[in-house]
Amino acid sequence: MGVVARWIQDRLPIDQKKLRELTNEPVPNHLKRWWFCLGGTPAYLFVIQIITGILLAFYYEPSPKTAYESVSYITEEAAFGWYIRSMHKWAATFMVAAVILHQMRVYFTGAYRKPREINWMVGMLLLICTLTIGFTGYSLVYEQLSFWGASVGANIADSVPLVGPLIKNMMLAGESYNERTLPRFFIMHAAILPITMIVLLFIHITIIRMQGVTEFGATEEEEKKTFNFFPDHLYTEIIMGLSLMIILSALATILPAEMGPRADPNTTPEVIKPEWFFYVMFRWLKLFSGTVAVISTGFIVFVMFMWPFIDAAIRKYTRAKEASVWIGILGVLAIIALTVWEAAVAH
Amino acid sequence: MTGRNDQDRPDPGTGVDERRGFLGRFSGLAMSVGLIGGYGAFGVIAARYLYPASGDPKSWFFVAVLKEFKPGTSILYRAPSGAKINITRRGPGENLADFSALSSVCPHLGCQVHWEAVNNRYFCPCHNGAFDPEGVATAGPPKEAGQRLSSFPLKIEKGVLYIEVSTLELAELEQADEAPTGPGQDPCLFQRYPAREV
Repeated sequence: MGVVARWIQDRLPIDQKKLRELTNEPVPNHLKRWWFCLGGTPAYLFVIQIITGILLAFYYEPSPKTAYESVSYITEEAAFGWYIRSMHKWAATFMVAAVILHQMRVYFTGAYRKPREINWMVGMLLLICTLTIGFTGYSLVYEQLSFWGASVGANIADSVPLVGPLIKNMMLAGESYNERTLPRFFIMHAAILPITMIVLLFIHITIIRMQGVTEFGATEEEEKKTFNFFPDHLYTEIIMGLSLMIILSALATILPAEMGPRADPNTTPEVIKPEWFFYVMFRWLKLFSGTVAVISTGFIVFVMFMWPFIDAAIRKYTRAKEASVWIGILGVLAIIALTVWEAAVAH
Repeated sequence: MTGRNDQDRPDPGTGVDERRGFLGRFSGLAMSVGLIGGYGAFGVIAARYLYPASGDPKSWFFVAVLKEFKPGTSILYRAPSGAKINITRRGPGENLADFSALSSVCPHLGCQVHWEAVNNRYFCPCHNGAFDPEGVATAGPPKEAGQRLSSFPLKIEKGVLYIEVSTLELAELEQADEAPTGPGQDPCLFQRYPAREV
């Protein structure tokens, strides 16, 4: 043992053996395939979001009088501000995409089944947090999309039976968008949701460590093979991380985040659309009336949330053992169809 | 990174092992360089982003028409930042040497000095620093350090005195609901600070 190692060991008596056990957890061989690293990807992007988000908060001022100007200062004047903001925006887009892909991977491989139902539900909460943090994020810029997105969002919440008006009031800090609205969105975006997500991520990963990564076809000799998390799987994640940084930096440079027109509470733009990950919801709202659309969305989210139990019931009481696959394919096709539909038309 | 646990792996021939050792060391080095280079570059960008842009934006502001500014008198000028600046006309001449614009920021540790008419001095309440009407320290830590109140650039154009100060707005101007008149009160500046609706 070196002098430094002994100095530390004398003060922090960490059991080397236990530490190795803790970090060297063997993971199933299928994790060598790249699409099984999709869970680590949003976690990595989340770290990027925290770092770039803290940097942005150094200059951002959450008030209708100053928000747009401060974002414009970041984008146009602060050194590398355009890069930090564009990274934040692109990493957000990637994070939503990665979370969705990760969830699809878990769904189609049936990795949510017993005993992993709870972790699926934690994952659903993380999905909802990710979408909400995306929504509150683009509301902060105080461009036209921010203002009308927040207004429409609040009015959607308003059409929830019973508690709707209360939710809207809490969201906007009043009956309608006012000067105390933005600080709420900012605190949600930069404090409450990130902390909630850190706690949920901690639970998510702890449960994975407790249960171990799902093993597929454990009876086959090949699948029983494992390799060490540290350092082998960590290398995979490091490569993922660096590749993501390169892609994000390239996108931030080629397609940087721009400034839309400043929010004008008196003029709704002719064409107004949310970020792409809300296209499904947006199209759904156009297809059905307010309350029906909101209740049906709530029902769909509830079904997704409870899916491990619904799936277990289907498998137990019917002969359709792989019904989940077909339902999943239908769901994905519906999501893609609604998204493409919304993207393709102006209204 | 190169000293990782390879004991589980089957031992191939020594030649292969040597090559593998070299490749392992090389890729470990390349990876470390890549990581440090990549994230290091991001760190540099972040540091540069946080480092404040140099200097406040400055501009020339109206102070007084020389005809209305009597020799031997002072004007308490309020900059947009709210800073108080004592502008004095020392003599009847119309050269810059006849004017001074003393900052009210104590050169010791940056507190605000104020004019004490009874003692004919500027006084800093933080550490009992005192300055004569010319801005030279007469007591306290600023005197020991041989400091004086700093001055602001002035200029005279067509019989009008101007001062160069920061345009940053840090404070509400006092008496903003009173129409300002006389030397030291710029009616244009006043329009930028309309009386607030209460």
